[in-house]
Amino acid sequence: MNINQEFTRRFGLKVAGTIGAIAATGSLTSVAWAEPIGETADAGEASVGGELIVRTVELGDTMDPAKTGSAQVSSTLRLVGDTLIAKDYDGNFVPWIAESWDISEDGLTWTFKIREGVTFHDGTPLDATAVKFTFDRILDPATQAVTAAGLVGPMTSTEAPDATTFSFTLSEPFAPLLQFLTSSNLSIVSPTAVESMGDDFGRKPILSGAFMFDEWREGDRVVLKRNPDYAWAPEYMHQDPAGAFIETITFQSITEDASAVAAFEAGEIQQLSLPATDISRFEGTEDYWIVTYERKGIITLAFNVNVTPFDDPALRKVLMGAVNKDDVLDAAVEGYGFPAYSFLSPGIFGYWDGMKDYAPAYDPDGVIAALAELGWTDTDGDGIVDKDGVKLSFTALNLPNDSYGRAAQIVQAQFSDVGVEMVIQQMEFATVLEQVAAESHQAVFMGYTYQDPDIAYLIFDSSQAGAGINLSAVRDPELDALIKEGRSATDPDARAAVYETMQKYVNDQGLFVPLWYDSYYVAFQKSVRNANFHPDSYTVYYDAFID
Amino acid sequence: MTRYVLQRIVLVIPVLFGVSLAAFMMSHLVPGDPVAVMLGETATKEDYDNLREQLGLNDPLWQQYGRYVYHAVQGDFGTSIRSKQPVLDEIMARFPSTLTLTICACVTAAVVGITLGVLAATSKRSGVDGLIMTFALLGVSMPAFWSGILLILLFGLKLGWLPIAGSGWRALILPTITLAAPAAAVLARMTRSSMLDVLGQDFVRTARAKGLRDRIVVYRHVLRNALVPVITIVGIQFGALLGGAVIVESVFSRPGLGRYTITAIEQRDFPQIQGIVLFAAAIYVFVNLAVDLMYAVIDPRIRYR
Repeated sequence: MNINQEFTRRFGLKVAGTIGAIAATGSLTSVAWAEPIGETADAGEASVGGELIVRTVELGDTMDPAKTGSAQVSSTLRLVGDTLIAKDYDGNFVPWIAESWDISEDGLTWTFKIREGVTFHDGTPLDATAVKFTFDRILDPATQAVTAAGLVGPMTSTEAPDATTFSFTLSEPFAPLLQFLTSSNLSIVSPTAVESMGDDFGRKPILSGAFMFDEWREGDRVVLKRNPDYAWAPEYMHQDPAGAFIETITFQSITEDASAVAAFEAGEIQQLSLPATDISRFEGTEDYWIVTYERKGIITLAFNVNVTPFDDPALRKVLMGAVNKDDVLDAAVEGYGFPAYSFLSPGIFGYWDGMKDYAPAYDPDGVIAALAELGWTDTDGDGIVDKDGVKLSFTALNLPNDSYGRAAQIVQAQFSDVGVEMVIQQMEFATVLEQVAAESHQAVFMGYTYQDPDIAYLIFDSSQAGAGINLSAVRDPELDALIKEGRSATDPDARAAVYETMQKYVNDQGLFVPLWYDSYYVAFQKSVRNANFHPDSYTVYYDAFID
Repeated sequence: MTRYVLQRIVLVIPVLFGVSLAAFMMSHLVPGDPVAVMLGETATKEDYDNLREQLGLNDPLWQQYGRYVYHAVQGDFGTSIRSKQPVLDEIMARFPSTLTLTICACVTAAVVGITLGVLAATSKRSGVDGLIMTFALLGVSMPAFWSGILLILLFGLKLGWLPIAGSGWRALILPTITLAAPAAAVLARMTRSSMLDVLGQDFVRTARAKGLRDRIVVYRHVLRNALVPVITIVGIQFGALLGGAVIVESVFSRPGLGRYTITAIEQRDFPQIQGIVLFAAAIYVFVNLAVDLMYAVIDPRIRYR
């Protein structure tokens, strides 16, 4: 949910899409979402105990669900915390801490019936008061709950009239909220612990999940212990209601990919997101379970529409046809992914299937002809087209990420083929963001990961220009109106229609060249049984055990 | 002597003050905004503006620096923007790991480097000398991230003798070798040339003419004199090893200051960056002081007033 992580985690992002398991032969066999990893006839008996060590790049910033901006932490918190609503493997929203919920006709008042008998890890009860405390804390600017505050959007006030009823009010309908309520950033926190622990809460959060937070060893590992009292997992997650099986789950920080792969092969760790460079080698073995899923989000080359040469929409659109996405994909991630044609990827709600044909196809000759029509021709024979004495040349900012680096070089060569000069300027993430915020860039390579098409608000809305997020620096009332419509449309079909229009519009405006979305591969040791992989791209360990 | 040491310690204060000012200015003047990095894409422009205001990042730089110094002299080095933890606590939690690795590597480098240097010098132009100098050349040339990975593949994966990540003393062996190798190589070459210098001097000939045994000449007279420049290099190497630990810690996933430093810079976490720079500067200053004091022990002609 955070470009932040784009930089720090490189490949192992919190993403999702369709999932498949690779059969032992190495060929790709699609399986149903809910089919557990490593469920075979010879699997041993599930029993409580064992330790699972999962590789993570970084431990993250803080374990406080409201305050973290780290995708890694959000993923860890899936095990430690519970949310009002859960999402099952088929994408249905199902009860969790809320037994049921009701949304008023105008979409502005949401009322939840809170499950009874749930306790936090410190033994205090989780009731409507605690839920209200959790959301009030996020709404309070003093909390600096940046990520969480973005998720609750236009929420204005909350109420807990009795121990089992919680409600909140919105200032306008907010369609993505149902999805966002399943985000671990909105996990219910223990009010007692928050008040007594202060900032230490971020190092030892007290929540209500199936695993309890045990230890944060600075720069080294995060250790979770099984919660023996846990009995309120949603049915789809857990067949046996009495707690999880694995006694200890450790997230071990290994920063270097090469070291992590070696540690996995030596059996020191049991779960690893594979670096793209190692996927083909692992695919050929029968030693591990391998799960694959698609990124929810894309990598793109965005043009700043306010500066030359990209202040000409016609030129932007023509240039979209100069990029051969298959070649970019091969170079960037060794082909482990798919070419992107829209600002949404197929895993995200509202993706319009027609985009592949709607978007300009790769056609270098056509591009050269179209450029000439716009007045861009190579008059001085230096290989770069020019117009009124100005060469068609621009600088694209890029992140210090290996796959981005390779992608940029291919795009550069392809632009060069049509007489356009692209200079690559690689910078640190923080510097790129600042340049984008100042709108001093011409073009920028960037990727995002997000669970909802409302990413459009963050990357295209006028209100977001100048905050380092609206990559094209676009201020377009027509687009703003579409975004507003998409945020407030509560009927799924109507909402999907809005995003179809929006995807076409963004394409017509040539705001950016969508490049690719990744396929991610996660390897498990064969001793890990019955783990599940969720479409929202995290592992579900409730039924998992170590054989 | 005591007066000299006290003087040197008092002089640390202006040095640290200067370092803190430089660190502050540099971290604020390079492009990049901690709030933008922290918020990523999920936050709105309002969130961005609010957070900048709350963190005091909109105040003039001199005000921010004044506030920093005011708290720092009271022992409060600020709270990390990202983790909300006191910076000093975070540094102290990670420093033992880095210090252990650095000391192990420094001792290993000194013992191995000086021994090999002496061996090479006393067997000048022999096969042993050639072998040792070849090793030294390799040690200096191999970058730590490459030699570290090779050691992991051999001892961790192929032979399975030593852990690849993990903690405990066994997990310290490979990083120590990786970090110590270049320093040992430098010290071996240094010791060798310094020994050869001293071996050619008049007093050595005199010692030999007096009929002293070769061992006594080499170890009591030559080595002791040859070590003065070598000790300086050990001191400098200690600082370099602290810096080199950054890469080695990444390769071996050690929870030290190395990774912490990189993340702090990437995220523009100003309090963290300033804390680390001040801390590293203080260590460097004290190691230099220790080296200066060691001269007096090795060379009785040097006295401090």
